[in-house]
Amino acid sequence: MAEPIIMPRQGQSVESCIITEWHKKKGEQIKKGDILFAYETDKASFEEESEHEGILLDIFFDDGDEVPVLTNVGVIGKEGESTDEYKPDKGAGTQDSASKDKELDETTPMEKESEEESAPYQQPDQETVRINDGKISPRAKRLANDKGLDYAQISGSGPEGRIIERDILHALDTTPKITAKAKKAMQEEEYSAPSEGSGLGGNITYSDLSASNNVYAEDHEVMPLSNIRKRIAKAMHASLQNSAQLTHHMSADARNILRLRKIAKKKSEEGYAYNITLNDMVCYAVIRALLKHPEANVHLIGDSMRQFKKIHLGLAVDTERGLMVPAIKNADDLSLTGLSSQLKAVVEACRKGNIDPDLLSGEAATFTVSNLGNYGVEMFTPVLNLPQAGILGVNTIIQRPAPLNDGSFGFVPYMGLSLTYDHRALDGGPATKLLAAIKTEIENFDITTLD
Amino acid sequence: MYDLGIIGAGPAGYVAAERAGQNGLKVVLFEKKELGGVCLNEGCIPTKSLLYAAKIYEAAINGKKYGVLTTDASVDFKGMMKRKNATVKKLVGGVGSKMKHHKVEVVKGSATIHSKSNTHINIACNDQHYPCENILICTGSYAFLPPVEGLGPDTVMTNREILEITTAPEKLTIIGGGVIGSEFASFFNSIGTEVTVIEMMDEILSGMDLEISAVARKELDRRGITFHLRSRVTGVNGKKVQFEKEGETHESDGNAILCCVGRKPIVEGLGLEKLGVELFKGGVKIDEKCRTNIPNVYAAGDVTGFSLLAHTASREGEVVVNHILGKKDNMRYKAIPNVVYCNPEIAGVGYTEDEAKKYNIEFEVRKLPMTYAGRFIAENDSFSGICKILTGKKYNEIIGVHIVGNPASELIYGAAMAIEQEMTLEEMQEVVFPHPTVSEIFKETVFTSNI
Repeated sequence: MAEPIIMPRQGQSVESCIITEWHKKKGEQIKKGDILFAYETDKASFEEESEHEGILLDIFFDDGDEVPVLTNVGVIGKEGESTDEYKPDKGAGTQDSASKDKELDETTPMEKESEEESAPYQQPDQETVRINDGKISPRAKRLANDKGLDYAQISGSGPEGRIIERDILHALDTTPKITAKAKKAMQEEEYSAPSEGSGLGGNITYSDLSASNNVYAEDHEVMPLSNIRKRIAKAMHASLQNSAQLTHHMSADARNILRLRKIAKKKSEEGYAYNITLNDMVCYAVIRALLKHPEANVHLIGDSMRQFKKIHLGLAVDTERGLMVPAIKNADDLSLTGLSSQLKAVVEACRKGNIDPDLLSGEAATFTVSNLGNYGVEMFTPVLNLPQAGILGVNTIIQRPAPLNDGSFGFVPYMGLSLTYDHRALDGGPATKLLAAIKTEIENFDITTLD
Repeated sequence: MYDLGIIGAGPAGYVAAERAGQNGLKVVLFEKKELGGVCLNEGCIPTKSLLYAAKIYEAAINGKKYGVLTTDASVDFKGMMKRKNATVKKLVGGVGSKMKHHKVEVVKGSATIHSKSNTHINIACNDQHYPCENILICTGSYAFLPPVEGLGPDTVMTNREILEITTAPEKLTIIGGGVIGSEFASFFNSIGTEVTVIEMMDEILSGMDLEISAVARKELDRRGITFHLRSRVTGVNGKKVQFEKEGETHESDGNAILCCVGRKPIVEGLGLEKLGVELFKGGVKIDEKCRTNIPNVYAAGDVTGFSLLAHTASREGEVVVNHILGKKDNMRYKAIPNVVYCNPEIAGVGYTEDEAKKYNIEFEVRKLPMTYAGRFIAENDSFSGICKILTGKKYNEIIGVHIVGNPASELIYGAAMAIEQEMTLEEMQEVVFPHPTVSEIFKETVFTSNI
């Protein structure tokens, strides 16, 4: 009996995934546990393992196709078995879905478009124009690709802002000529053309594609943004545009936690199951401080505020794919060791790329910690992960002259703390109190929490 | 108040004045000598008149090969100079009437920048002030005399003086085998002067494609010009030139010495320092819109210190005017033809082989003798010439075309258009060339295979 391969649902918010690469070919023998294909959401990437044994009888989607979740992407079975019944239902739902899949596109009714074409071209009404979200008719798409036109910036005049053939024709009429070399380059590589060129009569030349100054040699290549990069770009920009964030800096005497870290390290070397790091201790201190100052443990959404009873701690993690901020849910319920092992687990999952995407959303956490201390950063202004109202930047430890208990002066290690908060949600007073509380928690970190 | 004040009425200045006048700008054009600058008065135009006269003489004395017998063909040097002067006069007069037609106010005299206010720049000339909203500096260049013992204005001539002589020298020594040196060498050789060229580099015509220059030099050598390459002039004594070649000292004796080792931008005495105009390698620094570092101050032509060509200058002048008019335009230097009007003519545009290698461009070379064009055989008896086409390896676009053989100067613009438009070999193959013409060599060459 043949078995379908289904595009898994990665988290409730994910509607579709892109197949990045098939590792198996049609007709290949598959064992249980073989990696069939790699796919990604806009947040993370995954690999799909086979749950069945047999021959890969059919593949319904190619590399680069965006596939709605829970859709059949292929079939595994015995030689000669029919796969027809598993083929995705190609007729339905394509008008609404943002699917870029070729096969789906081809089934879009053509008659409708012909009718639209007979009407004279009208520039879409400015108010209703939306930069298309991938909605383009297959004919328009084919024409755009043939002519080397980048349709991402074209506004559609079809239903719901869909780009149809006449939009492409209009764009071709109004955009400058592209030289033969530039056209070839655009067909072979992922270049896109600017709206104005620097060649004869404003023609778009090859050097315009790479946007380099034509007096000098080409000095860079154009690389499309990865999905995660796009997401980060959008989130960071939105954060700075849509909030009133500012940062306070303070330092905590780090003698105490450095001493504790030494003990923890020694214990770990002696065989203790946990290796509590400075970051673990800082996160723990942050949670303690937030319990005392819940006014910073909020989401600001429009005209209302969500006051959380639980603390969901976000941690900024630097990965090869880019920045990820996974959340530790109900972090206030965890002991120091529990927190430490959960932090390690999410960091590892992020770096491997198999973190639950639902944990990465800004709404998943209520407060975030971003630790750049290891990198030697002395002070920075972390960017809020909206709708959260606070993020603590942890800086490197610096030896600073300070009065010692005996009245003399000496060098004392200080850890820099940079708290960015949303002034819409929180005033400077409570923000400073929270920061001071974090400092106090760090300075008075209790050895007994280590157990 | 003038919209545009132009200092220097050479090919940059008078063309800019004409374009600006055409577009209704109020223009004042300053010139301390004659309209037309070096190009019309002591460069491009007079030499072309002389070289054509020499060509007629050569055709007459070599007519036998073509079945034309002449007796008494001889050089009337004064007649040649008279014809040259008439040509110059006619063209200078033409520029004058164009200025009048476009309502350009021409001021004869030495102009300097007097002062700058918030709204304009004052140009002083003949004790009068001319307030200008924009100014264009196009003062050109002068023939540089190298610091060599005995070499000075009283011992050597430059292009300016040699165009005023009344009798042809019997023996002429030319210091510098660049474009100017080679053209004068070719002219005087044609009319019977014994010519010696002393060049410091490995090859004459630096900047042209090496292979093409070598073919041209061999032909000029066959016609009787003596070339000393890799030779450094060490002294000038009367009409004798001493030079070092491969460690040995030589001497060239003659009746006259022409020195043409290079030209330098004229930036002194203009008051540029009053505005703080930035210089680069001795010339006025400009960007791709021909703007200097000072707002509303532009520069064009030889004064910028690079691409010292009349056609570069006029194009730069046009870019300046377009920029002032708010039209989109920018300077492109990748398709500027270089032409040497020796007999045989040499022309090139785009990358030479050496340049392409220097910039790590992957390219292919296609090359044919000019004798592949029927008309060339009909009109050229003893010299075969070369046409060479460089194309980018990846996209097959034309990146360089180099020709030696008559009438290369008239063919090269076709190649310049192809390079401007980034035309590919495939596109060139579709162009119909008139038959029989020498231009068909392009068609023949684009159909040959890469060597």
